[in-house]
Amino acid sequence: MAEGATGKRRSKDPWPPVRPGLGAWWRDHLRIARETVHFVSARLGTSLLVWLLVGIALALPAGLFLLQQNLAEMTEAWDGRPGLTAYFDLDVDPEEIDAAVASLAAKSQVEAVRVTDREAALAEFRAFTDLANALDLLDSNPLPASLKATLISDVSLEDLEALRELADGLAGVAEVVVEKTWLERISDISTVVSRLGVILGLLFGVGAILVTATSVRLAIEARLEELRVLRLIGATERQMRRPFLYFGAFYGLGGGLVAAMLISLCLVVVEAPLSNLLGSYAQELDLVGFDPIFLGSLLLLGGALGVVGAQVAASQRLKDLEIL
Amino acid sequence: MPQIEFHGVTKRFDNGQEALAEVNAEFAEGSMAFLTGHSGAGKSTFLKLLLCLDQPSRGQILVNGVNVTRMTGGRLAHYRQHLGAVFQDHHLLSHRSVYENVSLPLRISGMREKDVGRRVRAALSRVGLLEKERLFPRYLSTGEQQRVGIARAVVTRPKILLADEPTGNLDPELSRDIMKLFEQFNQVGTTVIVASHDRDLIESMGVRIIELDQGAIVRDGVDARVDPRSHESAERHQTGLPDG
Repeated sequence: MAEGATGKRRSKDPWPPVRPGLGAWWRDHLRIARETVHFVSARLGTSLLVWLLVGIALALPAGLFLLQQNLAEMTEAWDGRPGLTAYFDLDVDPEEIDAAVASLAAKSQVEAVRVTDREAALAEFRAFTDLANALDLLDSNPLPASLKATLISDVSLEDLEALRELADGLAGVAEVVVEKTWLERISDISTVVSRLGVILGLLFGVGAILVTATSVRLAIEARLEELRVLRLIGATERQMRRPFLYFGAFYGLGGGLVAAMLISLCLVVVEAPLSNLLGSYAQELDLVGFDPIFLGSLLLLGGALGVVGAQVAASQRLKDLEIL
Repeated sequence: MPQIEFHGVTKRFDNGQEALAEVNAEFAEGSMAFLTGHSGAGKSTFLKLLLCLDQPSRGQILVNGVNVTRMTGGRLAHYRQHLGAVFQDHHLLSHRSVYENVSLPLRISGMREKDVGRRVRAALSRVGLLEKERLFPRYLSTGEQQRVGIARAVVTRPKILLADEPTGNLDPELSRDIMKLFEQFNQVGTTVIVASHDRDLIESMGVRIIELDQGAIVRDGVDARVDPRSHESAERHQTGLPDG
């Protein structure tokens, strides 16, 4: 304060900066937080609109992130049960089939080997397709004998490839099919979703910043007179900016909360059909990622984007503020 | 050393209009002076430059030996915290009570709550508005609002108090009361500079008067007819003693 300057310091700096203690700093933050709650609640309609806009902007990339997480999880889950099927020549010797089974069963990555002879293959084909009548027209059974090797849960793609090469080289084997098509598809979808999530995350993140910046700009315009007075009586830029950073954080946190609610609503809506879909692949619906860490991160991200938006708006507007 | 020094201060606006022209003036610590002149003479510009609300086109303004014209950021904010400023239209915040308005400069400086209360009540007591601390400015008369503005300006006990047409909207009796308040603050050592076009009122106060015309000082002294270049007058201004 004016009277606080000592004679010794005045010779160096006639207006020494006042350094408030931690208590004063804390009280100032509490006061601003209270005023922010008051300001926002006094303009509930506008605030709800901002929360909704920020919430939607956050929900889409966050939802995609969640989807990507689940696809990755699904790939991992299916990764445990890939199979390998070797189709034999039509005229294969039974000894060659036994030898092939023994070779594969000896491998540590192979959990079990099941042989389907030609008759059993025909019976399965009849049972699972509508082409039974067409088969009757044929002179002989066109289906080969096959063996299906079930692999251990943590087999790597490299091991899978090595087994495929081994099976391919066995006597009597005509063709080897590694059942990883779905894995590859899900992995591809996961990559697409992940990249889409990053792109949309950036776009909607910028959108959330702009929404907050615009809202904070309106809040600044509503308090211009107060800002002029504050600058006149010696408030620092930081002190003048602080209430608006609180606005931004408040809008962002609210937006994060709305985003969490929207995602939660989406999950409730898709839960039943998704469960049915996965059921048809003998999978159980076990959504991952929508946990307290995800929710906390969503709130923090919302708050951070809000603060960035507020910082942009406040820096721009306060720079041009004319006092009188 | 004078507390405030204007050295060849010129302020020219973008449209070419010259608000101040080569102004030289000095104010000793604890002195009191009135700036007067017609509308547009440069009184408000003089105070705005001193408050660093604008920058001079040329010249230097020294306060306690420091050139304040190029100060920015935190330093400028701290400088303003050490000044008190009163304006014709008060600049009170309508959504804050009298107490909150007056306490604003103290909160900015991070003063403890109990000290804030003590200081605010002391300032309100000085301007005779202690019983109205809970009211909002809209429930006060124009004169009372001006006194709240003064309380806010002096609550930090600044060494320099500046006032721009503080009695512009007030009747003669209230104007005299306000001027008496400034006089009281001056008597406890505050340097007071008041811009006013009310010649009758300021001449009755018996303190230094600086008359501006088209941005230039045309008269400077206790008696408005005293020439600023007179040796005696200049000497008295540097010491802060009233003439005569």
